Amino acid sequence: MSDTYFYIFAAITVASALAVVFKRNTVGASLAFLLSLCGVAGLFLQLDAQLLAVLLVLVYAGAVVALFLFIIMLLNMQGGDRPVFKKMTIVSSTIAGALLLTGVYLLAKRPELARLPEAGQPASVLLDLKIYGAKLFTTYLLPVQVVGFLLLIAMLGVIVLSKKFEGLEDVK
Amino acid sequence: MNLETLTAAANSNQWLAIMPELMLGCIALLLLVLEVVLPKSKHDLIPGVAILGQVGVLVGLILNYSTPYLDPSMRDTFNGLLAHTSQGQFMRVFFLLTSILVCALGSVALAKQRMPRIEFFHIVLVVSAAMMLLAQSNHFVMLFVALETVTVGFYILVSYVRTNPLSLEAGLKYLIMGALSSSLLLFGIVMLYGAAGNPLLPGHAETDAMNFDQIANFLAQNPDNFLAQLGVVLVLAGVAFKIGAVPFQIWVPDVYQGAPTPVTAFLAVGSKAAGFAVLITLVQVFAAYKGILVPLLSLMAAATIIFGNLAALTQHNVKRLIGLSGVSHAGYLLIGVIAILFVPNAAASIYFYLVTYLLASFAVFGVMTHVAGVNDADQELEHYTNLAKEDPFLGGVLAVGLGSLAGIPPLAGFIGKLLVFIPAFQAGLYWLLGIAIVGVVISIYYYFGWIKAAFFSAWPVPTIENESETRPARTPVTFGLGTVLGLLALASVLFGFYQQPVIAWLTAAL
Repeated sequence: MSDTYFYIFAAITVASALAVVFKRNTVGASLAFLLSLCGVAGLFLQLDAQLLAVLLVLVYAGAVVALFLFIIMLLNMQGGDRPVFKKMTIVSSTIAGALLLTGVYLLAKRPELARLPEAGQPASVLLDLKIYGAKLFTTYLLPVQVVGFLLLIAMLGVIVLSKKFEGLEDVK
Repeated sequence: MNLETLTAAANSNQWLAIMPELMLGCIALLLLVLEVVLPKSKHDLIPGVAILGQVGVLVGLILNYSTPYLDPSMRDTFNGLLAHTSQGQFMRVFFLLTSILVCALGSVALAKQRMPRIEFFHIVLVVSAAMMLLAQSNHFVMLFVALETVTVGFYILVSYVRTNPLSLEAGLKYLIMGALSSSLLLFGIVMLYGAAGNPLLPGHAETDAMNFDQIANFLAQNPDNFLAQLGVVLVLAGVAFKIGAVPFQIWVPDVYQGAPTPVTAFLAVGSKAAGFAVLITLVQVFAAYKGILVPLLSLMAAATIIFGNLAALTQHNVKRLIGLSGVSHAGYLLIGVIAILFVPNAAASIYFYLVTYLLASFAVFGVMTHVAGVNDADQELEHYTNLAKEDPFLGGVLAVGLGSLAGIPPLAGFIGKLLVFIPAFQAGLYWLLGIAIVGVVISIYYYFGWIKAAFFSAWPVPTIENESETRPARTPVTFGLGTVLGLLALASVLFGFYQQPVIAWLTAAL
């Protein structure tokens, strides 16, 4: 039964991921991205990672894709003419794609994969949001602080890259 | 969650141990406050505050070089996220020096551009602090967070000159490539975590499957775990992006050309050294998987040396040239990394090489920053015509820097290469050494092409009508930049002659 669910969610994820790449309408593409994220969340649920699944839907599907949609609508991009690929590009990318597929196929066919030991329950399961939060404020306090600085420089970066500076006298 | 665990966690957070990083963060915040508080006319002081503050931190770090945290009993702080080692301590000094030099070049280069300046110094400081944490991290969570802080900082710095389309293009390319490499790295970490955390396997991690010590223990007890092998390969691929090793070098020329020159210097020296600091740590963690590490890294090193040198031969833009030559330097350093697996103390030679690379690169980048015009991406070899005749000082610094990069005796770069090749010879990597020597010979051609452009007058290219002189106007070098460049060139020469005490100290200390 769980295999059936796995195939359903996997099919949703892969099909909508392909749609993100192939759809010409950007709004449609971002909606397909949303669907793909929901598929991944379903896969996470099957792996007993409920917290991750909820966070994925809340943060990515809820906030990030909504932002994408805002920006697409604000910019109001018209899909211009696509440049035709050169023959060389088509040939080389076909070869690269074939190599990649062969690699993945050979990897999936490896006998080692079938012999992988069954994963037992890890010693400490971070299922509980409370445990997760406590970890962030005890064991992982330093990375959380560093992420604070990361967000600060990201914010400064947005200001530097988007603000109009013509009116400033300190810019010589 | 009871009181004891909380107290234990709180006691493990030894903030004093990361004082230099904390101070860099505070100086970075101070710069932003100063921008708000100071009147506009006093804003020229802020770069000085950034540089002087860092010099202060550097002096403090050197005075407290042998901290009690280097003692094995106090080595692990922050619940095993950080491990304070003498190698990490050395890289801290290295990154601070890099950051000071980048700020010095930045204050010269940004004056030529119509761009805000305070944010540049702020981001450089935060990125340097993250690099310092990266060199000391002993846990994949810390490693990833520090690495992402470095990478996000570089996305902004690379596209900093927003008015220049090439800079924006470079930023976009770096963003996509950086995101791809981060995802490879993360996927590898997940594989390792999954394998090392599986309680059914012998030697699985008892408490923390992302701690380097526990992963190393697990790998030693499971020498042929397929999942862990995949993880090792993917993690190495993610790091290879950062050092620009083949086949992950594709971003190097465009990003190096488009980024402002100080940022190119930061990428070439800081980012590459950070990649190698991580690589040296990880190679020791993955030592049990020598069987895949050695052929993989050897192939990568050989391809990197050959590609970097051949691609640099045809370049006319000096930023692309130095980027591709940097790729080949990553190849030489990779040979040293392989030697670590066979020869103890081989890491010391890599650190010495990095120091010589820093001295020579910043000498060259300093001259580039000074010679460059308003359009930072447009720096052709022709712009260096007659440089040595018009400004013998700059010409001399350029010649010393390029000579050291090429590895011409008696400059420091020669000793650096020799020191990396000796452990490789002891390890029996003869065919790699052969390729490296051919690479060094090829590199002399393009480095000397640049020196030739600066020293010997070429036939003037007939100017076509309506085409104005493209070469940016030359100005005399300022006292501050001149002092820095002179010191860098002097150090490059001195390390070539008197390297023995430094090497002895490095071998003993690391």
